[in-house]
Amino acid sequence: MIITGLVVGLLLGFVLQRGRFCVTGAFRDLTLTGNTRWFSALIVVIAVHAIGLAAFSSLGIITLEQSAFPWLASILGGLIFGASMILAGGCATGTYYRVGEGLVGSWMALIFFALTAAIMKTGPAAGLTDGLRSITVPDGTLSATTGLSPWVFAIALSGVAVWLTVRHNRKLTTPVAALPPRRTGLAHLLFEKRWNPFATAAIIGVIATLAWPLSAATGRNSGLGITTPSANLVTYFATGDVTLVDWGVMLVIGILVGSFIAAKASGEFRIRVPDRETLLKAIAGGVGMGIGAAIAGGCTVGNAMVSTAQFEYQGWVATFFMIVGAAIAAKATIRPRSAASTPVPAESRTA
Amino acid sequence: MKQILETNGLVCPFPLVEAKDAISDLSVGDELVINFDCTQATEAIPQWAAENGYPVTHFDRTGDAAWTITVQKA
Repeated sequence: MIITGLVVGLLLGFVLQRGRFCVTGAFRDLTLTGNTRWFSALIVVIAVHAIGLAAFSSLGIITLEQSAFPWLASILGGLIFGASMILAGGCATGTYYRVGEGLVGSWMALIFFALTAAIMKTGPAAGLTDGLRSITVPDGTLSATTGLSPWVFAIALSGVAVWLTVRHNRKLTTPVAALPPRRTGLAHLLFEKRWNPFATAAIIGVIATLAWPLSAATGRNSGLGITTPSANLVTYFATGDVTLVDWGVMLVIGILVGSFIAAKASGEFRIRVPDRETLLKAIAGGVGMGIGAAIAGGCTVGNAMVSTAQFEYQGWVATFFMIVGAAIAAKATIRPRSAASTPVPAESRTA
Repeated sequence: MKQILETNGLVCPFPLVEAKDAISDLSVGDELVINFDCTQATEAIPQWAAENGYPVTHFDRTGDAAWTITVQKA
């Protein structure tokens, strides 16, 4: 029943687009301005997902596999991915849902991301990727090192998540402006209202948890994933090998369609062609994300949401180095346009 | 005084980066009209305004995936 992958993807794409969930933005804000709001929302995703995985494992619904920790690949791949997602203007998933919003720069980033991921995972550079990933230390998870139950870490992280949620949802003295409503009831909630990032994060955590048993039921024993499915999709297009079209491939197709539905229904879909510089950065970012994600063994979903929730070192180390990579690239590339940004007085502006 | 900042075509985070840069040159009470077409800025710009205590005097759609917001420096 790989069709459940499509359904999960549709849901995820919809939620990501409506919730404006952007891990690139989270890492960028964290390092460029010190704003921890979206990073805190990511912690909520991981915490909800970690509790869900601990519960499903304890109930015997899923069996998590233990693997070694490819430390060098996690560091190197994380750095490359982190810097590249700043150039692309979105991580792998962020790029998928911006494709659904009609951003042509993201179309290019996605095509090059999937292509280089395929080259690195199963193509001519697979030897390099495997070589880097074979440099490991035996213990792959916090549980393996400490002998403690994953519940200990899941509950501790949830405590942090609750504290962050409370802290970031204290009422501001100036209200946050909202668009004038044009719809009512459910349509307003789904297609118009601004979603609270922490509510969005909790929903993503639940979707990520439900993904596991649904995917495992089709013989793919893992949760949400973007990089391998994207590479599989490219390889399928090139070879026609239909066995590559698994639950994960259906998931990424679902994200595309789900985000398009969300954007279209909200009046937020428009084909937007960027300038030359933005387009070139998107292509370079896509290439780098494919390389980085293949080496690191996952993107901001596979590593920063799924591997972290299993308390694998790979996930946490790769995420940390994605933040470092993002910080370097953001400091190097993000600044206001100098002369062009000087605003014009409204009075002197010609229509 | 009212100033207009066109950021259409810029992807996030650039509309907000430009807005921060532009508002630093304004005097208290001046208004900055920011036109943008990056979806994520519908979240980021109102949040930034609220966190800085800047009132938003106007916020609306100007078309499919296009918005305008007026932030008053305070």
